[in-house]
Amino acid sequence: MPLIETRDVWKTYQMGTVQVNALMGITIAIEKGDYVAIMGPSGSGKSTLMNLIGCLDTPTKGEYYLAGSRVSELEDDELARIRNKQIGFVFQTFNLMPRASAFHNVELPLIYNGTPKDIRHEKVIRAMTSVDLADRMNHRPNELSGGQRQRVAIARALVNEPSLLLADEPTGNLDTKTGQEIMNLFSRLHKEGNTIIIVTHEREVATFARRILMIRDGQIESDEVVSETEKIANGTKL
Amino acid sequence: MILWEILKMAASALRVNKLRTSLTLLGIIIGVSSVITIISALDGLQQSIESELEVLGPSTFIVTKFGIIMSEEAFLEALKRKPLKYEYVEAVKKGCDLCTEVAADVDTRAEVKYREKKMSNVHLEGGSANLLNIIDIQLDQGRFFSEEEDHSRRRVAFIGSALQEELFPGLDPIGKTIKINNTKFEIIGIAKKRGSTFNDNADAIAIIPYNTFTKYFGDSRRSTDIVIKAASVEMVQPAMDQVRVVLRAMRHVPYDKEDDFGIVTADAIMAALNDITKYLRMGLVGISSIALIVGGIIIMNIMMVSVTERTREIGIRKSIGARQKDVLIQFMYESLILSMTGGVIGIAIGVILGKVLISLMNFNMTPSLSAIMIGLAISTGVGLFFGIYPAMKAARLMPVKALSYE
Repeated sequence: MPLIETRDVWKTYQMGTVQVNALMGITIAIEKGDYVAIMGPSGSGKSTLMNLIGCLDTPTKGEYYLAGSRVSELEDDELARIRNKQIGFVFQTFNLMPRASAFHNVELPLIYNGTPKDIRHEKVIRAMTSVDLADRMNHRPNELSGGQRQRVAIARALVNEPSLLLADEPTGNLDTKTGQEIMNLFSRLHKEGNTIIIVTHEREVATFARRILMIRDGQIESDEVVSETEKIANGTKL
Repeated sequence: MILWEILKMAASALRVNKLRTSLTLLGIIIGVSSVITIISALDGLQQSIESELEVLGPSTFIVTKFGIIMSEEAFLEALKRKPLKYEYVEAVKKGCDLCTEVAADVDTRAEVKYREKKMSNVHLEGGSANLLNIIDIQLDQGRFFSEEEDHSRRRVAFIGSALQEELFPGLDPIGKTIKINNTKFEIIGIAKKRGSTFNDNADAIAIIPYNTFTKYFGDSRRSTDIVIKAASVEMVQPAMDQVRVVLRAMRHVPYDKEDDFGIVTADAIMAALNDITKYLRMGLVGISSIALIVGGIIIMNIMMVSVTERTREIGIRKSIGARQKDVLIQFMYESLILSMTGGVIGIAIGVILGKVLISLMNFNMTPSLSAIMIGLAISTGVGLFFGIYPAMKAARLMPVKALSYE
């Protein structure tokens, strides 16, 4: 059973009097432990697809199964529970709470599922350590570099040990070298058994993944496995 | 547990924007303190009236020509009544076995002089020798007059402490001779201080024997009040009935006509006063409530701005697993913290202002617990009422839209 399975998923937006189809019949399956890049030009629908996979949004039509349960029909609060437990988000703009310490940012998902304080403490330290930020816990986001901020966001995504890490252009706001570091971190997390989906429009970033789904005009254009040759050529092999 | 964590988040969000938080607080403080000021001033007024009426005990009642008149027509009607006569006092004594004490009482305003010093507008009362057994005026020095002195119309006076202070500073008044409206009287006793209400000095009083009063100051049209003490509080009503039977017979009131006299009790006075001041109270509380509503609207307005401003924050919280309930509670906490903090400060200011107001009006009062409870209840209510809409707006934001909000 795949971790993620969508069957003929459509997303239609009403823009005034015009209906815009952002997704038109997407059917994909992603196995547990896979590392997939969703690629496409802007406006292709890749972010919409990511929002659906991340349970931030629901499809207009079609079915979506996450770990065997049908989430396309769930209520708001049940989706919140899934976002909390099953999914770890990493955003292009980091989306950290600006006035909270790195520690509190990472702690927040644990607060929302009622984890007791001592266990929270332990888990936050573990997650911060795994992204090499154990010494920056009391810093606020504006006291951290872009790469550090993104690592805080990754620690926050990891802290609930989700089934799926979902990254939307995670290197988009970072310089090349820092972006490379973040991608190396994702590769390591993949090696450690995490399922990762990355949304990007850059081929070099996508080649860090095992598999690339190309999306164009709301439909899957291609589904390929990244060749070892290309990984070596781009220096994206860990 | 999670509620406590969310409370901490709410508190820290309020700390971030200190100026805005304090301006919002100011709105609610003004609202609550004005309501509390009014309520405690009204409470103080009530207390002071009640303490004034304590001179009439719970088992005491007074028969008067007018009773308690609540309308102009009733007053005009009552003006036609014949005055109450002294004979009735003896008749009531005989006809009412539930009345333990019956006394005659008349009063007027008089000028009192001692040598060059004088005091005008003194409350001059002519009463029976047992008057002090019925009304709550206590002997401080000397003695009250006797029944014999009343019968023989002796010119003796029992005075209040204000007269002592005004006319005899540093002197012992007992045995001294004063002039009441130019008639000489000997002072035989002094009453304990009672304090003042409504700027009316309850201690500016002189009591002389009833028959002395009628001899020197009386006229035939003056009505004599009958002051009566019933055997017990429970016996007040049956005693009143006995008194009514006696008086109706003596005044030849036909069986199908109403009493042509009135009966006054402390409770009845209080009820009548409350009735008169009811609309005043409602008006005052109503006007001050407007400030409170404005305070509530300020909270609502600020919370709406805050929800819009923090749309992205709400989106982030939802993306990492905050449920609608969690967001709702956070924003409700924020408005409740604002309204209740404002409420507590407002209550403190209101109680102090109420006290100042009361002392300016020359009443004494104790801060009322009810005002504090009301203050807390209304500020909490305002927070809940005006906070719920913005909080629901925040809770219902779609995570995708909230996250992409710029």
